[in-house]
Amino acid sequence: MSQSLSQIRPFEEILAALQAAFPDDEFTVEAKPIDDTYITLVPESVRPVIELLLEHFDIYHLSTITGDDVGDGVCLLYHFWSGYGITLRILLPYEDLHMPTLTDLIPGASYYEREIQEMLGVTFEGLDIPGPMFLPDDWRDDGGPVRYPLRRETGA
Amino acid sequence: MSRITVPIGPQHPLLKEPLAFSLTLEGEHVIESTLRLGYAHRGIERLCQERTYVQNIYLIERVCGICSHVHTTTYCQGVEALLGIQAPPRGLYLRTLLCELERIHSHLLWLGVQARNIGLETIFMYAWRDREIALDIMENVSGGRVSHAVNIVGGVRIDLTPEHRDTILKQLDELDRQIDVLLGVIENERTFEARTRNIGVLTEEQIRRYCVVGPVARASGVDVDLRRDAPSFPYDQLKFNVPVRPEGDAWARTLVRTLEMVESVRLCRQLLTDLPDGPTTARAKRRVPPGEVVSRTEAPRGEVIYYIRSDGSDKPARVKVRTPTLTNIITLPDQLKNIAMADVSVVISGVDLCIACADR
Amino acid sequence: MKPMSPLVNVTHRVVQWARRKSPWILHFNSGGCNGCDIELLDLLTPRYDAERLGVLKEASPRHADVLICTGPVTRQSRDRLLRIYEQIPAPKWVVSMGSCSCSGGVFYGGHNILGGIDQVLPVDMYIFGCPCRPEAIITGLARLLEKIK
Repeated sequence: MSQSLSQIRPFEEILAALQAAFPDDEFTVEAKPIDDTYITLVPESVRPVIELLLEHFDIYHLSTITGDDVGDGVCLLYHFWSGYGITLRILLPYEDLHMPTLTDLIPGASYYEREIQEMLGVTFEGLDIPGPMFLPDDWRDDGGPVRYPLRRETGA
Repeated sequence: MSRITVPIGPQHPLLKEPLAFSLTLEGEHVIESTLRLGYAHRGIERLCQERTYVQNIYLIERVCGICSHVHTTTYCQGVEALLGIQAPPRGLYLRTLLCELERIHSHLLWLGVQARNIGLETIFMYAWRDREIALDIMENVSGGRVSHAVNIVGGVRIDLTPEHRDTILKQLDELDRQIDVLLGVIENERTFEARTRNIGVLTEEQIRRYCVVGPVARASGVDVDLRRDAPSFPYDQLKFNVPVRPEGDAWARTLVRTLEMVESVRLCRQLLTDLPDGPTTARAKRRVPPGEVVSRTEAPRGEVIYYIRSDGSDKPARVKVRTPTLTNIITLPDQLKNIAMADVSVVISGVDLCIACADR
Repeated sequence: MKPMSPLVNVTHRVVQWARRKSPWILHFNSGGCNGCDIELLDLLTPRYDAERLGVLKEASPRHADVLICTGPVTRQSRDRLLRIYEQIPAPKWVVSMGSCSCSGGVFYGGHNILGGIDQVLPVDMYIFGCPCRPEAIITGLARLLEKIK
């Protein structure tokens, strides 16, 4: 980021802007090590919140998207960096593992979304998938290993 | 003109690691390209869930052979944060010393490989000969040339005597002289410039859209370096510059990496002369209390990020690894557009690929 | 075995001598961490300089005598490894370099790992280490050449 230190906004400002823009939403905020603040959202709010972060605060650096099978669903964590870490957390229930893609806003998200689709079975609507990424071409052909390697019920 | 598809890899003299490209050419120029990862996918994230935190250090070290120390550094940093402990200053200084030495060795390795792919075999031989000095220092410090096994949760397992320090400072002087020679070649040698200028240009806009990290971003004018932007001890005590170039081509990337080596030697000297006294490791419990942590460091190729979640047992519930090569490799299809076939090798190696890192 | 005529015998011995004196290697990484690969490349650099022993690193399987494999065999690279082996003209030898290609190493049990390369190819020489030091690789190659005799 070509932001100088003076352009980095304190987190309180960002939170105030989010609460002003989305008055009906509950934002649960937690500060965690090492230098991150987690905001828990509902899945429908992720795209509007990221659009706000991009347009108003120029927070464009998405470090990665983590997919984590937590037992009662798949938790998706969008890790952003703007002088300090901001992580957006959502929980997708097993019956509804769908999310809209971010690749039209942040093209760099495509590999992260493809990996989560392959390893955890989350469908990203609008994501272009030319083929398997990490898993081999013959992953299930011989009745072999589990469908989604990082899912819990498959023994992960 | 008719179109031909040229496959490159997974076994190819250009690549040390298995990676498959498919280039569609019209005449001599590349129209489009696709790449296939996954040849080196070892399922490390899943393996981490089946082993204890201590066993995982050995596994994480082997995500990549070139940047092994920085992976264990990020991992141990994260686990220490979960445990609520801090490694003692001497331990952190030694950890950082190896991080910087690894940066030097990785950049010299890359410089040799890049020069070889251009056809300048002499620079390859010189760079790898000078790399042996860095490997000697690392062997002096840790006992291993490539795999150091220095990090433990709570600090480092090695220590340096004053004689050790003096030997290493002399070796650093020699390394400094050799890096200066290589810097002179890159800045002044016309053959090198002719092969790398204006090849594989990435604009600042592309860097932002693809969230590119590391020397590739710094060579396109984006001034980002986690050592300075997220300063943890001891980087907040040390003086160093972050080289940034505006051109965005393969030549700028080479120059940025070589200047970074000069800065790394400077950092190593500071770390050795200001080495604090005291223990090198703090006690760490085997069972980690429930929690989650995001740990970031600046590896030779860019930002490495680890997300670790613990559930109170002695095995992690989730370890997520994202390496800089996975972020940077997405720019390759863009960089390869309209490149002549003869320049494909320069572009592919300019990004400093470490496929073992990307595939995990 | 039929006794060879004197001319064929001499030619045969010259060819055997040439094979021992200049093993051309092809390197394939079937999914390793890269540590062994950089130590193998180190062999060609001024400090260890394997070229003075006649070792040359070739680009094409058709030019090679010895296939040096690093890394465990992943499901995706298995077919390619087999195809490369088939493309190397006989007589050929396979060296398994590093703990991962000997047995799967640290990654044994991974969901994408088939094991060491002896699950897929017949191996003539195992060189252990994680990663192998260049000295170990040279010793391994020298022992392999003695076997060829």
